[in-house]
Amino acid sequence: MIETIGTTLRAPAETLYAQELDALAREDTHPRPARWKLSPWAVATYVAGGTLSDGTAISTKYFGDRRLIEIAIATLATDRALLLLGLPGTAKSWLSEHLAAAVAGDSRLVVQGTAGTSEETLRYGWNYAKLLAEGPSPSAVVPSPVLRAMREGRIVRIEELTRIPADVQDALISILSEKSLPIPELGADVDAVEGFNVIATANDRDRGVNELSSALKRRFNVVVLPLPESLEDEVAIVQSRVASLSATLALPAQPPAIEEIRRLLTIFRELRAGVTADGRTKLKTPSGTLSTGEAISVVNQGLALAGHFGDGTLRAADVAAGVIGAVVKDPVQDRIAWLEYLETVVKERDGWKDLYRACREATG
Amino acid sequence: MERPVPRLPGGDGLSLHLLGIRHHGPGSARSVVRALDALAPKAVLVEGPPDADAIIPLAAHAAMQPPVAILVYAPDDLRHAVFYPFAQFSPEWQALRWALARNVPVQFMDLPQANRPARADADAADDETGDDVREDPLEAIAEAAGFSDGERWWDQMVERRHGDADAFAAVAELMSGVRAELGERDDPEEQRREASMRRIARAAEREYGDVAVVCGAWHVPALASMPPARADAELLKGLPKTKTAATWIPWTFGRLTMASGYGAGIESPGWYEHLWETRDGVVAAWMTKASRAFRDAQLDVSPAHAIEATRLAGALAALRAAPLPGLAETLDAIRAVYAFGNATPLGLLREKLVVGERLGAVPDDVPQVPLLADVAREQKRLRLPPDPAARELDLDLRKPNDLERSHLLHRLRLLGVAWGSPREVRGKTGTFHEVWTVRWEPAFAVALIEASAYGGTLLGAATAFARERAASADGLAELTALLDATFAAALGDAALFVLAQVRDAAARTHDVGLMLDALPPLVRTRRYGDVRGTDAERVGETIDGLLTRACIGLPPAALALDDDAAEALDARVAAVDGALRVLDEPSQRATWHASLARIAASDRVHALLAGRAMRLLFDAGIVGVDDVRVRLARALSHGTPPLAAAAWIEGLLRGSGLLLAHHPELLEVVDDWLCALGADPFVAVLPLVRRAFSAFAPPERRAIGERLVAHRGTPAQAGALIAADDLDLDRARLVVPVLRAILGGEAAS
Repeated sequence: MIETIGTTLRAPAETLYAQELDALAREDTHPRPARWKLSPWAVATYVAGGTLSDGTAISTKYFGDRRLIEIAIATLATDRALLLLGLPGTAKSWLSEHLAAAVAGDSRLVVQGTAGTSEETLRYGWNYAKLLAEGPSPSAVVPSPVLRAMREGRIVRIEELTRIPADVQDALISILSEKSLPIPELGADVDAVEGFNVIATANDRDRGVNELSSALKRRFNVVVLPLPESLEDEVAIVQSRVASLSATLALPAQPPAIEEIRRLLTIFRELRAGVTADGRTKLKTPSGTLSTGEAISVVNQGLALAGHFGDGTLRAADVAAGVIGAVVKDPVQDRIAWLEYLETVVKERDGWKDLYRACREATG
Repeated sequence: MERPVPRLPGGDGLSLHLLGIRHHGPGSARSVVRALDALAPKAVLVEGPPDADAIIPLAAHAAMQPPVAILVYAPDDLRHAVFYPFAQFSPEWQALRWALARNVPVQFMDLPQANRPARADADAADDETGDDVREDPLEAIAEAAGFSDGERWWDQMVERRHGDADAFAAVAELMSGVRAELGERDDPEEQRREASMRRIARAAEREYGDVAVVCGAWHVPALASMPPARADAELLKGLPKTKTAATWIPWTFGRLTMASGYGAGIESPGWYEHLWETRDGVVAAWMTKASRAFRDAQLDVSPAHAIEATRLAGALAALRAAPLPGLAETLDAIRAVYAFGNATPLGLLREKLVVGERLGAVPDDVPQVPLLADVAREQKRLRLPPDPAARELDLDLRKPNDLERSHLLHRLRLLGVAWGSPREVRGKTGTFHEVWTVRWEPAFAVALIEASAYGGTLLGAATAFARERAASADGLAELTALLDATFAAALGDAALFVLAQVRDAAARTHDVGLMLDALPPLVRTRRYGDVRGTDAERVGETIDGLLTRACIGLPPAALALDDDAAEALDARVAAVDGALRVLDEPSQRATWHASLARIAASDRVHALLAGRAMRLLFDAGIVGVDDVRVRLARALSHGTPPLAAAAWIEGLLRGSGLLLAHHPELLEVVDDWLCALGADPFVAVLPLVRRAFSAFAPPERRAIGERLVAHRGTPAQAGALIAADDLDLDRARLVVPVLRAILGGEAAS
């Protein structure tokens, strides 16, 4: 580990929730698959939340349908790879991190998919100094997170699988079907140890994604994560995430009033659906995804503004800039959609005067 | 297995083998068969309507294919009908078949429908084989056990255990506990039902000695503890008594589900049938069926998918602490493995597999209501079998067989049996073709039984029904629709009766719109109907009378209308004009044109209608182009508000722009008016004018544009108008250099 000064900005799930994981491991009497830290049942409890018989409260990590969580965990238990699919900001990475933390006790084996991800990041690379000095030898191999997970029987996460170029993606096919990775230079194979598995996340809406080949798709069980169904669910998600984030970021502001979050989410949901909550008015839909994740960051940004420049309470003006940033991604079309929404809906709504004025000012 | 089912001592010393089942549960069915084999009782009682005892033997008929239902109805009051549906996997069905195959006496056991008070609403006939769904006791147990619903719980605890026969003892004990816990309900109907069950059970016991009883689990405790017979007799005293009849009718899996609102309500008949038919490898076989359904829908699925989905379903079941995967687990697995997390293909699976599309069949010698039998005969004769899957039927009315099919469908529709729903025909000549979507539903049998009050044959019933409706019809609109329906159904007698009613109603009504509505169907009857001689004359007279009234009322009715009302009236005027043109009776057309002329001349009627009237008159050759020009100029003169002027143009030009294309003098008037408008009025009328012009065919627009070029001599403006449809020259020109580069050389510019 590389030395750092001060506390880390963001601790991994297994550190943040170490206490819950320990309690679950103590209470867990169900059978565990090889090298799993918890039984599938306990993993489901960890993600969906609950109270253990010894009174430990397990916080809810994922607020959606419990059946989806169960399908994901059962997939991992059958040693099939898991693909979490969904719009940006539907808690795909969040869920994958918590699943890895609960199943393998470690969520840090990650490959972050980008357009520049190469085969070395999925397979292995070489320490060239050693390679030149000693020739090909096991000690000259630089293992990828995937290779390490195979050797140690752990879970590796591949984020944004669809951003990886298609030919690189396909390097996963043999790993997933043969469960082994040949290193021809050494004339050896690395065979995956029991407990190895892959959780990949991908979104199907963003621009610049590479469609998965059907050969690769066949090797995954796919769970589609939906946007939260009701406003109340979404408010709960934003509230709990904002609370935990502002604790780590040490924001000097009061936790936000639930009313402000609800207004913000109402805006997001209405624009997303293209119709007002009462179903009366049709709206133009902006190009952005306006996900729950974005709502969380808008609130956080607002809290920072309120804490450092305002009176410490989240007000309409603190949210306004963030909302506009989230809605207006395309300077022409989205701006029209936003202004129409502002003038026809926000302006007319009771008790939204302050928000209207703040948004009007910030929109310019 | 020794004594799988305890003989439960009753209150007055009688003993019965009580097999408490869940209606339509395949596991229960299996257990029942096994228990009956082991017990070999002298007689079998099955929960069901004693009204239908006489038709039980038909269940063994070779042509009887479940799903079927027993229909109990009162011949005197046909609106009250109750169904008792049976699938192959229903325990009641299996018990009936078991007994019939071994010549063991078998009877139904319940409170006869004959003794039940008529229900307030016939739709509440979800009574079926009995259990009260509104307050499902199993739901409470299942919830306590952490299950999402009672069905899955029973599934898990009893039916998945491959027919473990001492389950019945456990069920009896459990239900006693539940009923003790909930307390006896104060429901006189239920008390009477159970008293009646006990009475029948006592009688059977006296007669045969060793009796097996197959009934809903809920009733087991009521039969286990027999109160004195006197108490039951007291309960059953003084019940109403009506005459009932019973018959078998075909049923569908779709009707067995909750969604249909009937049936004991099982969500997944297809899955239950699978459980009934498959003993080993239930999930793997189910996945294979799913693969086939996917492949039939052109979705690629390999055996490898089936293997992975089976494994995932197993893992899910383990995670959910279930001994075996259930329907929910298999569907979750199919979604994750087959469908890439996508929910849409599962809808297909639900229809094809989970519910299933099976339609049962009953033997021909089942006793039937005469009307049902008549319809069945017609269906056979016209080779139009009832089919639960929707399909399209294209009828060419020039062929005798197709014409009769059309009559059959129309007559049934008139009686409220929507077997076929007509579709709009586009492109083909409407009078010879009818396109129907046909889809048979078992409940139509009920509608037909209801309708048999009107007559024993389809023709008789439809005629009587139409006459009754005509006699009680409220207003001209309803009568007009009825006239159309009777005409389409070829019910000559009824049509004439309706016609007389139409004449009377027309005399009474003041609504010109309704009168106009009535005219096109009347004209159709006159023109195409098979009414002859004096009848035809009578139709003609009716048209005359109605038209005269309408023509008198029309000009005043066109006054003081808002835009929407003017639109509606305009459509009616156009329809009537078209109809009269078809009929081509000079005297009628003269009346009509006189009325139109008054509208066209008036400055106070809605401008849209005035314009339309002028156009119709022009098309009929009543007015010349000069008249139109004068009237147009007046409509567009300075005194007229621009919006009204635009509406006038719209009315004049509706349908076709040829008028302008062929008559430059008119175009000139419109053009001058448009060019003389100020900026604001121009913007205001632009949408209206655009709407009027946009309906024209491109060649018409082109012709108009060319005329304008000739008239104005401003090709820049007119050029854009001409080219707008197909080519933007300026933008096209931008591409030319690129093309030239690609083609490499001297491509013409």
